[in-house]
Amino acid sequence: MERIELLHTLPLVFQGRELKSEIWLQDVAFQKGETILIEASSGTGKSSLCSYIIGYRKDYSGNILFDGKDIRRHRVSDWTSIRQHSLSLLFQELRLFPELTAMENVQIKNGLTNHKSRKEIEDWFERLGIADKMTAKVGRMSFGQQQRVAMIRALVQPFDFLMADEPISHLDDENSAIMAEIMMEEVRRQGAGVIVTSIGKHMNMSYDKTFCL
Amino acid sequence: MMSLVWKLLRQHISIAQLAGFFFANLFGMFIVLLGLQFYNDVKPLFSQEDGFLKPEYLIVSKRISGMSVLSAGEKFGFSDEEIQDVTNQPFCKSVGAFTASQYRVVCSMGVDGVARFGTDMFFESVPDRFVDTDLSNWKFDPNEGVIPIVLPRTYLTIYNFGFAQSQSLPKISEGIVGMIDMVVLLHGNGQEQRMKGKVIGFSTRLNTILVPESFIEWSNAKFAPEADLTPNRLIVEVKNPTDDAIVKYINDHNLELEDDKLDAGKATYFLRLVTILVMCIGMLISILSFYILMLSIYLLVQKNTEKLRNLLLIGYSPVRVSLPYQLLTVGMNGAVLLISLILLYFVRSYYMNTLWLMFPQMQDGSLMPAICLGFGLFAVVSIINIVAVRNRVMKIWNRKE
Repeated sequence: MERIELLHTLPLVFQGRELKSEIWLQDVAFQKGETILIEASSGTGKSSLCSYIIGYRKDYSGNILFDGKDIRRHRVSDWTSIRQHSLSLLFQELRLFPELTAMENVQIKNGLTNHKSRKEIEDWFERLGIADKMTAKVGRMSFGQQQRVAMIRALVQPFDFLMADEPISHLDDENSAIMAEIMMEEVRRQGAGVIVTSIGKHMNMSYDKTFCL
Repeated sequence: MMSLVWKLLRQHISIAQLAGFFFANLFGMFIVLLGLQFYNDVKPLFSQEDGFLKPEYLIVSKRISGMSVLSAGEKFGFSDEEIQDVTNQPFCKSVGAFTASQYRVVCSMGVDGVARFGTDMFFESVPDRFVDTDLSNWKFDPNEGVIPIVLPRTYLTIYNFGFAQSQSLPKISEGIVGMIDMVVLLHGNGQEQRMKGKVIGFSTRLNTILVPESFIEWSNAKFAPEADLTPNRLIVEVKNPTDDAIVKYINDHNLELEDDKLDAGKATYFLRLVTILVMCIGMLISILSFYILMLSIYLLVQKNTEKLRNLLLIGYSPVRVSLPYQLLTVGMNGAVLLISLILLYFVRSYYMNTLWLMFPQMQDGSLMPAICLGFGLFAVVSIINIVAVRNRVMKIWNRKE
């Protein structure tokens, strides 16, 4: 997937509302290889945007295109393939499985494509300072620790675009820097594009474009 | 990786609910299969076709009451006028008379050349056109001296149960009836002749010892030339054996129908009724247990909705996510089927042994009807389960849950 386009897109709940947005009701394109920051304040539809692009929700007007194809026309099998091979999302609400250990949470995703070796995954755990939590149940970890597990899970798949929805909301500066580093290493390795959203605090990186939602 | 998905999705599985389903379904399935199998095994005993008499042939005799025995003048035989009257009835196609032997017959029987018992007896014949068997066997030639004989099946039962059992003799099935040696001694008119009898079959409907008409004519002429040949019984071919007019005529003329066919028909009817009832109860139990399973699975999907949704969002396909629950239900259905069939096998061997003791002529049926029905039910229920689980997961995909 080379290109994500938003054509006059607007969440249905925002209809009739006065908006000053660089995304909603605009024609915007994200190109593979670009690093993009979307800054938003609460209630401006940041998570809605992520849900639309991952194909989870369809309550919007206008169009969203992947490589020129309207995603409303994607079938179930198309979405499964996109989520496995083209688009990875680090959810704001993480969507980890509290019953599984940190490693199992990553493996359940990695198993779909066997993209990363166990060794590579363990290295990431090590660098993010949660190696001792690999066999701990995610339900017993702090939100900041869970965020790091969720990041690793988002990276163990091939992708053209990585969307990170408030990835560092609960991390200190040191850990956010490590997380940004690991993320960008993998993004560059895959030649992918990154779309990071944030409310205020954001990863300290050089962005190609910044949008205000 | 599938094991991780399973580890996740088995959360909230209620063993108690599934065990409830399992045993209820096992019970229901077993009853349904047993009902069908038992019906199939027993049915031939009731609906055995009589090889010697067509169903539309009825045997009519005069009713014998205490009074008629006392009044010596009364005749038990049918006069020519009476026969003509029966012939003229609208339900009647044709009438034949039973002709009895009018001389003394002594017969001894044995197996493998050893005479076992002997008795006085008699023969009867009906016109050959009423005998529904291969006519090449149904011929008598005085020069050969072999008499083809059809015995009532009850004789076989009497032998097998009354005689063979007490004397430790082998039981005889219809198949090896040719082994019976029968030596027949005919006395009368100052003459005596020894002949061989050959049992060519058994009849459930004929309560007599039937021989070919040609033999009766020949032997009566030879051993009892002056005897009165008034027939005691008539064989009547009717258009429709269930016609009410027949029963009315029989009652009006103080006659009697010799026909165990009616009883067998009734027995088959009740057998079918009871079987259907039992199978319905089994089916009801199965349906209810199926309902438990569906509820249990729905509840499970409901409780695990969030996990299923997350799996779908990280790239699992609905097919893959549905699979564990589908395998669970199909596996349980399969186990139920297997155990029911094993149970059925043992229960069937038990009752078949008992039936064989009572009806040695019974043929060994097969488990096929039950196996087919079992697999049919298994397939239908499993397909419904598979589709239902898939629909539930699609509801989650479409955010309707």
